Amino acid sequence: MLDQTPTSIIKARDLHKCYWVGTMPFPALHGINLDIEPGEFTVLAGRSGSGKSTLLNLIGALESADSGSIEVLGENILAMNQDQRTRFRLQNIGFVFQAYNLIRVFSARENVAYVCQLQGKGKKESMEIANHWLGEVEIGHLGYRRPDQLSGGQQQRVAVARALASEPKIILADEPTANLDSMTGRHLIHLMQDLNRRLGTTFLISSHDPDVKQAAGRLIKLADGQIVDAWDSIPKPPISLASACPVGNLPLTERLRNYFREMRNKVRNKKRHGNTRRHS
Amino acid sequence: MAETRQLGLLTYLALATRNLSRNRRRTTITLLTMIFGIATLTLLSALNDGWLNQMKTNFILSYTGHLQIHAKGFEASQNLHDRITEPEEISRLMQSYPEIIGWTQRIRTSGLASAGGGSAGIQIMATDPEQETWVTSMNQDVKEGGWLRPGMTRDLLLGRTVARNLGAALGDRIILMAQRLNGEMTSEVFHLQGILETGAPQIDRTLALITLNNAQHWLQMDQTVTDIVIRADTHDNTDVLFRLFTQQLSGLKYEIMPWQELDPMVRQWLEFSDAYGLVILFVVIILVLAEILNTMLISLHERQKELGVIVAIGTKRRQIFLMLLLEAVMLIFLGAILGYLAGSLLVYSLADSGIDLTRFANAFEFFYMDPVIHPQLTRNSAMKILGATLAAALLAGIYPAWKATRLPLSQALRIQ
Repeated sequence: MLDQTPTSIIKARDLHKCYWVGTMPFPALHGINLDIEPGEFTVLAGRSGSGKSTLLNLIGALESADSGSIEVLGENILAMNQDQRTRFRLQNIGFVFQAYNLIRVFSARENVAYVCQLQGKGKKESMEIANHWLGEVEIGHLGYRRPDQLSGGQQQRVAVARALASEPKIILADEPTANLDSMTGRHLIHLMQDLNRRLGTTFLISSHDPDVKQAAGRLIKLADGQIVDAWDSIPKPPISLASACPVGNLPLTERLRNYFREMRNKVRNKKRHGNTRRHS
Repeated sequence: MAETRQLGLLTYLALATRNLSRNRRRTTITLLTMIFGIATLTLLSALNDGWLNQMKTNFILSYTGHLQIHAKGFEASQNLHDRITEPEEISRLMQSYPEIIGWTQRIRTSGLASAGGGSAGIQIMATDPEQETWVTSMNQDVKEGGWLRPGMTRDLLLGRTVARNLGAALGDRIILMAQRLNGEMTSEVFHLQGILETGAPQIDRTLALITLNNAQHWLQMDQTVTDIVIRADTHDNTDVLFRLFTQQLSGLKYEIMPWQELDPMVRQWLEFSDAYGLVILFVVIILVLAEILNTMLISLHERQKELGVIVAIGTKRRQIFLMLLLEAVMLIFLGAILGYLAGSLLVYSLADSGIDLTRFANAFEFFYMDPVIHPQLTRNSAMKILGATLAAALLAGIYPAWKATRLPLSQALRIQ
């Protein structure tokens, strides 16, 4: 048994992972030690290739470490076989992926209900649960749509609902905002923060998005497979959607774009009114 | 920790159906290929069954009947001493079986025929002219003259080739020579009443047909016979009757022979045809299997990431296996049923008119075949085709399904 703080929900010790391409080694993690407590909203930050996704995959029992140990919810997941890991993931971990990764042939509701059915719930009950969680992520009215009929942000909300539907203790999100525009990304982070506060679900998010880092309760910075920095952020209110994008806070390029859009609309309106007068 | 359970069959079916419809063009092309393959297989199979059935019927009706009962050892010895001494007892037995539509008693022996300056070795067959018409179609094979008249007539029918070899014409006196039961050689004068043309060269070359009453008197056989020939209502009932007679007459001095044993060459030819049918079945199924395997592997390649995600969120690998297997089985089964229906329609449209191969009639005669082949759907062939298709479905599905369970999860999730 590892020496763990009683409250730790995730505990990693001296984790090493190396990928091989032919005979070429590509080290991904170098002796990672990590403790996550229940209800944390932790962000793993770092550049591409720093080991964020690998660490999430190891914690999520998606792959095995070369050495070291990981305990999640007190279970030594490295000692589990494939079926045990699958069952463990289904019962305890929700995943949100960068590219949404919804099942294309299922509707949004069916995507969410699918995990409930995997847990052995009946179809009707699963659909009710799906409706509830789609409502929680504010797209309850889009449940009948298939992924290709949803925007990126809507798809990622479905993915969050799917992750929550199995009522996991932990949600692992790998670059959840990377494929979204900044506004949609902020909405999503706000939503996840809100769920974290209300439900107490532990979130571990890998991202290099400044908005995500800003929202972190704890920020862990990785570089070259090692934790190089970690700090708890000053407690702050979640990003308010009303104030998430005040014009004054927008970057210069977006302000310019908005300015030109307004100008263009004015010109169009002027032309339209002019034509109407001539016809009358 | 709560146990995960199997997904409901409806979920598997929904997934399989929708996955098949995600690339409609590919699924349609695969289905059309299958339908064409299975329809062709059904037609070929029906043609094979059709001509095999004709061949059986022609063979059985031309001479042998479905079953023959002899005294033990007669078929090998062809000696009149190996005779049935109480044929009436066996004949009475016939009446209790509704599967029998006719039977006749015969005497068979070898002999010599002479006419004018020529002579030829012959197979003398004596039969009851009326009973014979219930068992074989020999009376319809009389191409010149007429059928045997009942009673103690001196009527003789010769096969076309024997008659030609003897230079005999209708009404000619023909002397037949044979051995009596007591071993003495004896000869008798007959009148050529008709010429038979059965289409089977070995019969037309040797047959000399006389009445049973005359032969029993001439060969001093009293009321004894060498063969009792039985015709069943269907070919399939041959086996039933064979078993029944074997049970009823076991321990007695009889040998019961189904038609397959009476002419080894015909039996071999039928076995060869069955084997040929199986080869066609095998080739078509292999082609179908290759097509499905290709489709499934391409589909698997395209869905690696999705399958990785499905496993990541908690689907067991054996559930993935079932999902993919079900897709292949559904695809093949749908193709097989539609293909079989299309093939059946083709068969029904050709069943009455048949396929006319008169150009090759001479070659077919040797094998008791008609020049017009009528395709015929049989339950046996349907079971073979659908069974082989299901086996192919499982084979074509198992490999991609197994491959899907071996997908490295982390690699699958990294696919862009």
